[in-house]
Amino acid sequence: MEYSNPEIPEGINTSREHPLKELLLLVSAAVGIIFLVVAGLTFLAEYLAGYIPFSSEQKLAALYPVESRYESAQQRQAGERITTYLQQLAEQLARAEELPNEMRITLHYIDDDTVNAFATLGGHVVFFRGLLEKIPDENTLAMVMAHEIAHIKFRHPIRSLGRGVIVASALAVVSAAAGDNLSASVLQEAGLLTILHYNRRQESEADEVAIAALQTHYGHVAGATGLFRIFLKEEKEAQQLPAFLSTHPLSEERIRRLQQMASQHRWNTADPRPLPAEFGNWLQAGRASL
Amino acid sequence: MQDLIIFLSLLALGYIFGRLAEKRHYRSIFKREKKYRSLPVIASKFPPAYKIPHDTALVMGSVVVSVDYFKRFLATLRNLFGGRVRAYETLVDRARREAILRMQEEAARRGGKMVFNIKLQTAAVSQGRKNTVGSVEVLAYGTALIPPRTER
Repeated sequence: MEYSNPEIPEGINTSREHPLKELLLLVSAAVGIIFLVVAGLTFLAEYLAGYIPFSSEQKLAALYPVESRYESAQQRQAGERITTYLQQLAEQLARAEELPNEMRITLHYIDDDTVNAFATLGGHVVFFRGLLEKIPDENTLAMVMAHEIAHIKFRHPIRSLGRGVIVASALAVVSAAAGDNLSASVLQEAGLLTILHYNRRQESEADEVAIAALQTHYGHVAGATGLFRIFLKEEKEAQQLPAFLSTHPLSEERIRRLQQMASQHRWNTADPRPLPAEFGNWLQAGRASL
Repeated sequence: MQDLIIFLSLLALGYIFGRLAEKRHYRSIFKREKKYRSLPVIASKFPPAYKIPHDTALVMGSVVVSVDYFKRFLATLRNLFGGRVRAYETLVDRARREAILRMQEEAARRGGKMVFNIKLQTAAVSQGRKNTVGSVEVLAYGTALIPPRTER
């Protein structure tokens, strides 16, 4: 018997397919699945967070108190006056928005140049001096405040937190360090002062309730688009945008929607109510001592 | 971010060097297989019947190849979806052929004209982190049939 080693053709035990093609296919499939799972979980977290009792949210928020630092007694006095005024206005608007009784709004004033205001966990609403300085009358202020209160009414802060936690955990699976950073910033360090991001739908939801609250409280909707107009004008002049715009994306569409709503309901405008006579001095007190 | 960069560079390194090494290895395998085609390797337990008595000797060839980072990542992804682990197929194919070639080389050095009763054995040499197989050994051994000196 004669033996020989035949030449065996290639490609029986191995494949000629390019490994990068396989990598691309597998990675995109994996990313797709992860994306779907995260999107599903995010949706669930956002939805379910709305059912967390407000009292639990308040307890969570109590762990990270908002601190208003004052350097002098004079500054403290002015700051407290502003806080009291803002708190009163907030309570009136909360009534206009028919906020449930257990949802208490707590106003905070921070003596800082930041041009911003935001609502966060536990019914806390923070106003910065920078924003208040730009406000011409009470109605404009009321619109911003009613907007922030509406966020609380719809439980947007806790929903946004729920979403943030899910995204952070998902990131932690992919990249440990990146996930840790994000979950730390969502859950710990920044705490109450975290400026939670609300999506477009949440923003317009809050806008709609806010303009209705203006109508209920004042009987007209003057000042509803006031701040946006001020910013629109400034946007063309200034190089740096105020922080308010990064958390409250400004668009012509937003103004148009508000106007549309007003005309639909036949809401009129009238002379806006002025700010308290002392208001400017209170703001000045903080600024002068800097 | 940092660990992502490290991961991507490891992946790129694994791909570039793994691919180069594989190409070079296959070239050498094709060349040597051609050379040793005249030295048959058979699985039969019994040698062919010859009239003249032949010498026999145990010959073996062993090879250890390592999985590169790229292949390991590809195989890990395969674990999720199932299917042919193509990344490992070429690796094992190379190891097996190389082991047989080394065995044939030894047989040729001893003046053998064929190897019968060939056996293949594999072993995972190093268990990497989390029990992932780091490298694989393939051992080929058989009995070389060596004709008497006068016959050569």
